[in-house]
Amino acid sequence: MGFQYIGKSYIRPDAISKVTGKAIYLDDIRLPGMLYTAILRPEIAHARILSIDVTQAENMPGVVKIVTGKGCTFRYGDNIRDLQPMAIEKVRYIGEPVAAVIAKTSMQAQAALTAIHVVYDPLPVYLDARHAMQPGAELIHAENGDYWHLPTLQPEKGTNIANVYHMQKGRGEQGFAEAEVMVEGEFNYPLGSCAAIEPHGSIVWFKEDNTLEVWSSSICPFIIREELAHSYGVPVSDVRVHIPEIGGCFGYKSDITVEQTIAWIASFVPGRPVKWVATREEDFTSTLLGHGIRVHMKIGAKKNGKLVAIKSTVYHSGGAYADSAVNVTIASTHNGTGPYEFEHCDMTGYTVYTNHAPVGAYRGYGHPEAQFATERLMNMLARKLGMDSFKLREMNYLREGKVNGLGEKMWKSHGDITKCAEIIKKTVFEKPKPAEDKNFFYGRGFAAVMKSPKGAPFSTKGCYMKMNLDGSVSVVMAGAEVGQGLRSVVCQVTGEALKIAPERVRVYTEIDTQYSPYEWQTIGSMFTTQGGRAIIRAADKLIAILKKTAAQVLKTDEDYLDYDGEFVFLKNDPDIRVPVTDLARGYITSDGITIGELVQSVSDARLPRYSNPDSNGQGSMGVSYTFGAQAAEIRIEKKTGKIFIDHFASAFDVGQVINPLQIRGSVMGGVLMAVGATLYEKVEFDEMGRVKNPHYYDYHLPTYKDAPRQSVEFVETPDAVGPFGARGIGEHSVIGPAPAILNAIYDALGVDFCEIPVRPEQIKHVLDQRQERRKC
Amino acid sequence: MLEKINFTINGDSVTLEVDPEWMLIDVIREMLDLTGTKRGCDNATCGTCVVVVNGRAIKSCNTPVKKAAGCEILTVEGLSQGRILHPVQKAIAESGAVQCGFCIPGIVMEIYALLEKNPNASHQEIFNALNKHLCRCTGYEPIRDGALMAQKLVQQRVQ
Repeated sequence: MGFQYIGKSYIRPDAISKVTGKAIYLDDIRLPGMLYTAILRPEIAHARILSIDVTQAENMPGVVKIVTGKGCTFRYGDNIRDLQPMAIEKVRYIGEPVAAVIAKTSMQAQAALTAIHVVYDPLPVYLDARHAMQPGAELIHAENGDYWHLPTLQPEKGTNIANVYHMQKGRGEQGFAEAEVMVEGEFNYPLGSCAAIEPHGSIVWFKEDNTLEVWSSSICPFIIREELAHSYGVPVSDVRVHIPEIGGCFGYKSDITVEQTIAWIASFVPGRPVKWVATREEDFTSTLLGHGIRVHMKIGAKKNGKLVAIKSTVYHSGGAYADSAVNVTIASTHNGTGPYEFEHCDMTGYTVYTNHAPVGAYRGYGHPEAQFATERLMNMLARKLGMDSFKLREMNYLREGKVNGLGEKMWKSHGDITKCAEIIKKTVFEKPKPAEDKNFFYGRGFAAVMKSPKGAPFSTKGCYMKMNLDGSVSVVMAGAEVGQGLRSVVCQVTGEALKIAPERVRVYTEIDTQYSPYEWQTIGSMFTTQGGRAIIRAADKLIAILKKTAAQVLKTDEDYLDYDGEFVFLKNDPDIRVPVTDLARGYITSDGITIGELVQSVSDARLPRYSNPDSNGQGSMGVSYTFGAQAAEIRIEKKTGKIFIDHFASAFDVGQVINPLQIRGSVMGGVLMAVGATLYEKVEFDEMGRVKNPHYYDYHLPTYKDAPRQSVEFVETPDAVGPFGARGIGEHSVIGPAPAILNAIYDALGVDFCEIPVRPEQIKHVLDQRQERRKC
Repeated sequence: MLEKINFTINGDSVTLEVDPEWMLIDVIREMLDLTGTKRGCDNATCGTCVVVVNGRAIKSCNTPVKKAAGCEILTVEGLSQGRILHPVQKAIAESGAVQCGFCIPGIVMEIYALLEKNPNASHQEIFNALNKHLCRCTGYEPIRDGALMAQKLVQQRVQ
């Protein structure tokens, strides 16, 4: 395409500050008069609070104030207003705030927690949606159905079902009448933690002038601002939210999470900033969890492999508060078709209240969990049909002109999944598989994937751009940099749009709602797509201003002018020109009279025609799609049952690569995260609802030695929305690993696993049983 | 009971009154405001708190401060000379190893200690060192590339 700055690797604008230790994260912030808080959590996940005795704690050294939920009259939430900053009459999960100590140091605050005495009356604990939704189950929220909620949600009053979403395409379940072959199964993607290396944290400061100032390790400053303004009855403009560097997000620092709790605590000491940073244990027990999704799915096809109908039921253990889970359930439900066309769809998703930390976004947002089912079933279907699994998929891929479950027609610009699959086939499956040897079984598995963002009607991204006196450009947006590298994207897209080197573009560092333009939140792999479009719009406006002033200077009309990054010049005689440096503040004529406006612009962009679901649960709810294919080459050790991933390959149609070094890193990181979910990671509970493994040493994140060799390739079918044809890719690489690895296990052993993580002892068990049978 | 303690940190000799029960990270971050050293866990698993004490990479979150008495401590703030980055910092910045950056100070200090002690460390020694650190962003390959690139730069400097 002949881009100047797109498609090249630049060093990240934040790399130097991060390798020198100078990047400021939440816990690095020190404010005058700052106090610290520590939070008491219950010993049992579901219980009535009978009494809280704080008298002993009040007299501990350094203690300034003890806070409980008593007196809190508001609830909050973006989708369902079911959240409260601190437990009042009952606790619903093990990490719920019950009381807090504000003290002069965090150690003093921690020490005083042990002196708070709470008496509980236990209630039944539900950790699985299927149990909590049984008739007669103890209600986790007696108020379910009465809370304010988005008009598109349907809670079932008198049950623990916080929302039921149903989507039908064609004749729904009746479509199975046309099917000749069917496969069915139940697949479980258990609760996991995003477990970013930086734990959550917030600082809240109620000022004497009735304004609030907040710092948080969060990707949604504007939601925090609006929610706090609403809860404390102040104008939105009086809440100022700062976002410093964020040490990883992967989903769980989206939506409002810990900020309301810290605000409630800080509201008792007006005039003093109060800081809270989660311990690693609290990060596991008390901030958003991910997944918790069980999918029962049935697929019907013709004998020739043409897919006909799909029915699925998603049981989502949404946690103690469902505000952040409902949209994950919805995305998981309608994206369960995977990258295939079905004429008939009947898909239901239940978000169910359960007694663990609320579930929220986790990289992939419902897609990995649902397509784990789809991609395992596609392999089972191929076996049942006696068909090559690549051919079966190829016949049914969503490509130009096909219609997805939501009723959206696929455009050519949505990308080419067939090409991605071909690349993976060539990379992994063309050479012969190693034969079983003395120590190992070998297997290979494939998965095709797709992802759309889960947007919202108001999910726009703003951009403010100004040209400086020397022609350099400053760009201010509110996209949260969590490591994904959006600052490089801003520099490169701005550079390309304005025809100036990215080094001449200075990108914003922190986000501050006082200065930053509005952005809903930085989620759904949408920053490049929407933010990039906003940059192009702002750049076009900037160039228009340059031309408008230059037309007066050069005594001609704007449409006769062109711009090359340095000059505005007459198209038919480039020697007649004015440098942009003379236009940035308006043009100063020889007599000192200045003409023209400041060279600055504001814009925003959202996905075109994004809509709410209609009565069928369908609608323009995806809009933007990225397709891809992934495969695993594995080795299973006979002696131990240990799975080694020798090679993992990914190919995605990303429209246009912006920064090759960064995009490769992003995909590889996603793959390893999902390898973790597939082989190691699971948040485990005891019968009281206590988390059994809330530490890195017992919740194993993949280390260097667990990382497979990876191949990463990209197809570039230009997108219609994103800048210079680029599409979102931040989350997509986490979708394929679980089904690809489990398909590879089948390839190696002929055994179907339907639940992750698959651990060596399970494989060993299968191998031992086989040995037993052979002996008989 | 506060105790007087003296050590050298990033070339400065400091004398502090500390609670001997405190860990080294508490003193580095909370008393000396050297916030480049990060806290990612409390039980010496993640590695982001690694600093170099008498030339050896150690986890500051489980090292009682009294053990550092009389020692020479180096934190990530002490590596660059003004704008001139240490080769390890330069390599890690350029290899794509930096995403969110929260694990980076510990990794930089780990590789620094290894390569300053032995510029010809084997690949296996480098990989063993990296295996002590958790990164949730990169899949580790760019970090490995950065470490190997750093080794080349350190070897060139020695020559």
